[in-house]
Amino acid sequence: MTRLEGLLARLRALRSPSAADRELNDEIRFHIELETEKNLRLGMSAAEARRLAVAHFGGVERVREEHRDVRRLQWLEDFAADARFALRTLRRTPALAGAAIITLALGVGANVAIFSAVNAVVLQPLPFPSPDRLMVITEENPEKKWHLQVAAPANLLDWRANVADFQDVTGYVDGVGRSTLTGRGDPQLLASGYVMGNFFSTLGVHAALGRALNDNDTWKSGTHVVVLSDRGWREHFGADPSIVGKSATIDGKTFEVVGVMPPTFAYPRAEVDCWQSIEWDKSKTADISFRRAHYMRAVARLKPGVTQAHAAAELEAVVDRLKREYPATNKVMGAAMMPLHDFLVGDTRLPLLILLTSVAFLLLIACANVGNLLLVQAAGRERETALRLALGAGRARLVRQGLTESLMLSLVGGMFGLALGWAGTRALVRLQPADMLRVHDFGVDRSVLVYLVAITVLSALIFGIAPALWTRHRSPADSLKEGGRGAAHGGRAKRWGDLLVVGEVALALLMTVGAGLLVRSFLQIRRVDAGFDPHGVLAAAVETNARYDTSTKVDAFMTALEARARAIPGVTAAALASNVPFKGTGYTTDFIAYGRPEGGYGTEIGNRTVTPSYFATMKVPVLSGRTFGPEDREGSTPVLVINEALATSYFKGQDPVGQRITFGKVPTPKSTWYTIIGVVGNEHVQALDVAPRIEAFHPEAQDPSGYMVVLLRTNGDPSTLTPALRGVLRDLDPTLTLLDVNTMERLRDESLARARFLTMLLLAFAVIGVLLSVVGVYGVLAHVSRHRTREMGIRIALGAQASQVRWLVVRQGLALTAGGLVIGGALALFGTRVMTKLLFNVAPNDPATLVGVIVLLSATSVLAAWIPALKASRADPSVALRAD
Amino acid sequence: MFCRNSTEDGMASDQSDVLRGTLDLLILKTLTLEPMHGWGISARIQQYSGGLLDVNQGSLYPALQRLEQRGWVASDWRTTENNRRAKYYALTASGRRAVGAEAANWRRYVDAVQLILDIA
Repeated sequence: MTRLEGLLARLRALRSPSAADRELNDEIRFHIELETEKNLRLGMSAAEARRLAVAHFGGVERVREEHRDVRRLQWLEDFAADARFALRTLRRTPALAGAAIITLALGVGANVAIFSAVNAVVLQPLPFPSPDRLMVITEENPEKKWHLQVAAPANLLDWRANVADFQDVTGYVDGVGRSTLTGRGDPQLLASGYVMGNFFSTLGVHAALGRALNDNDTWKSGTHVVVLSDRGWREHFGADPSIVGKSATIDGKTFEVVGVMPPTFAYPRAEVDCWQSIEWDKSKTADISFRRAHYMRAVARLKPGVTQAHAAAELEAVVDRLKREYPATNKVMGAAMMPLHDFLVGDTRLPLLILLTSVAFLLLIACANVGNLLLVQAAGRERETALRLALGAGRARLVRQGLTESLMLSLVGGMFGLALGWAGTRALVRLQPADMLRVHDFGVDRSVLVYLVAITVLSALIFGIAPALWTRHRSPADSLKEGGRGAAHGGRAKRWGDLLVVGEVALALLMTVGAGLLVRSFLQIRRVDAGFDPHGVLAAAVETNARYDTSTKVDAFMTALEARARAIPGVTAAALASNVPFKGTGYTTDFIAYGRPEGGYGTEIGNRTVTPSYFATMKVPVLSGRTFGPEDREGSTPVLVINEALATSYFKGQDPVGQRITFGKVPTPKSTWYTIIGVVGNEHVQALDVAPRIEAFHPEAQDPSGYMVVLLRTNGDPSTLTPALRGVLRDLDPTLTLLDVNTMERLRDESLARARFLTMLLLAFAVIGVLLSVVGVYGVLAHVSRHRTREMGIRIALGAQASQVRWLVVRQGLALTAGGLVIGGALALFGTRVMTKLLFNVAPNDPATLVGVIVLLSATSVLAAWIPALKASRADPSVALRAD
Repeated sequence: MFCRNSTEDGMASDQSDVLRGTLDLLILKTLTLEPMHGWGISARIQQYSGGLLDVNQGSLYPALQRLEQRGWVASDWRTTENNRRAKYYALTASGRRAVGAEAANWRRYVDAVQLILDIA
């Protein structure tokens, strides 16, 4: 009730401010009349009575002013007036306003762009119904050092059947595979997802046309079905509205198109064209391979109301039972559960947070700069402010006035920042390395706008509060006495200005050290020897289709392909490999050497199938023994070539050549024993910053693979060989196409793309940060030296050398910088620890980086000081003494 | 913060300044008698305090405005006995409650100061 009345009073006052003023005027007039009458009764003259009544009342204007201030919503009215005033003031000093707006726009723009990414990737929920109930179940195996591993199908199905807290569990193959669509003009490449039938229902999505896959589709039957993505439907099927029920030939098999998904659903990859069933054979679910091969990304949906902890406990119980029931495969096979969203955000969280920190620092530096500009301006306006105070303006009102001016600057800066940020967001979307950010398209949405407004207002407070408050503390008498110049180069304003510069130098140092560490780390990665020579090598994948149903047919095709490819003019060497470095890792297995005691097995050996010329083509050195030759055929002794990593770890102190190994932990009478015939150098298969793993190579003739990468070495640009290779393939089999065409150099660069992208972004922000802080140092020194012109003039008149005067200014710049460097350096020693995970062969407190950055920033601050120093040293004594 | 008296009326030397928080209490207490206009309030306070307290007018009207916004007093324009229009202030129900609480606060404060003065 009372609150309502108060509010109504305020609203009335707001609606008609002049009416409220008029009322107060009437009240004051009435008061003074009564007071005058009282004085008359005391026997004063009319004039005296009136004079004393007015005098007794005090400052009428001040009462009005205070009275107005009490009407709380007055601020809106004041704000409008202040805003108009601020805009007028800013127009009067376009250089200052322009500099401030550009600085702020840079800071805000960088923030908007990075926050858009953080918002899309980390903050926005997954685009599925009840996304918080979706969990990823990963397999964890301490013996094989598996973490977040994909699941074996049999384990997945057991979780599904036995964990009551799960509404459903589905699985899909991570990423997309390449398929060939034929029968619609030229063969086209499709990006295929391989999923269980309950994939769509578990995620909670429905088809836009026809139906999604269902449970029955999981299992192999006589027929094949496919669901198209909106993208696949438009790009490969001409957005045919009656596509449902029609057939399509994919990889030589006939599929019925059963449905098309809406454009909002593109998972697990944005580029997915269609989803095929995983097509498990129901009669083979008891096979050991169904529990031994791990390739399904498992996603569970919790029942409504079930907690994650409870479901995890249930899962644990089932996993323990599986460990006992299937010791051969599951003895040490654990499982872990985490929200799907967390899993998908995964390792992009840290880089994004580091980027966000970096742009936050950038904005703070921008604020410090603008704050300094405003301080200088406030100092210059000292006389004006003093005059207004003397004329009866309230101090609170002046502070608000100052803040409004800051807010206006910030809003205009923020608007330009939004434009910059929008462009930055587009650039991020376009330039981001494939798969770096989970979300492939994002922009400025409502959350981003809220963030924009928040940082804009916050910035205004940060850079506006010091000058505004400073105004408040000055006594008008002092200011008027000092003639409006005294305070500008002494006292509080200067201390604040110095503090801001010290702060921004410290932040610039932190940013630069962060960027510097990534640069060092990136250079370290680039220096890593891949173990092969990627220059001048074309890598194009080929996969046989349903027509190649025996290994003999596959081998014949691959052998012919290699021979024809080698004959292409310009090709100096040719080979085939089931996997090439940086592109797919192939499968890993356990193994044991002949004669080792029980338990003497090794784990996680990578298996690759290659043709004999692989090592020569890739220039992988042969360290001992021999590599494959024509004698290693189907039916002859099974042979292997191993890499150095395996030779030095598992066969430490022995000669592996001539020894035999088999795959699995325990040899059985049926085991195939492979003779090691040679040792080759290590290749970095996964990435340059991942240590080479242990590997075994199988000869193609003894272990044909339907998927092979053709490797062609040439002296020129390898990509020019592509048309000829396409021609070779078309001649051999027109139903096949080249799947992925790359050069090994491009694959290597792509493997570095993520590190490079992050490094470049941080470096760009750091460069802007350093430039802004240099401008900050320059600004303060220029201001100070301008106001010390008289002093410099006297010094020169008294015989000081120009160099001495210059040193005076430079020394001041160095002192400011040194303060910032010490603080920033101390923070960097601890702060950079968060980056440890992103660094390769560089410690987060790397002394070389820190020292290098300190030297760099010192040098730039000397440069920043040089121009003011030069000006000061040229002060003409006669002019200087007459100045002011 | 103290409100400065006008020194021009020559009587300021033996008058005390009125603390702002105290002013609110004095106004409320004065209004418990009857609705009054601003001048009436200030005259009444001066009268009751035997001329010891002089309310600064510059503080009186903002204080009234403040009290009105808190909902402790309500105002309306009325005609005085001399047929002049004046803004009258009256206590609201919550204002009446507030007087008691404010007065108790004030007494506690005075007692505390008294205790300290007695020690010294």
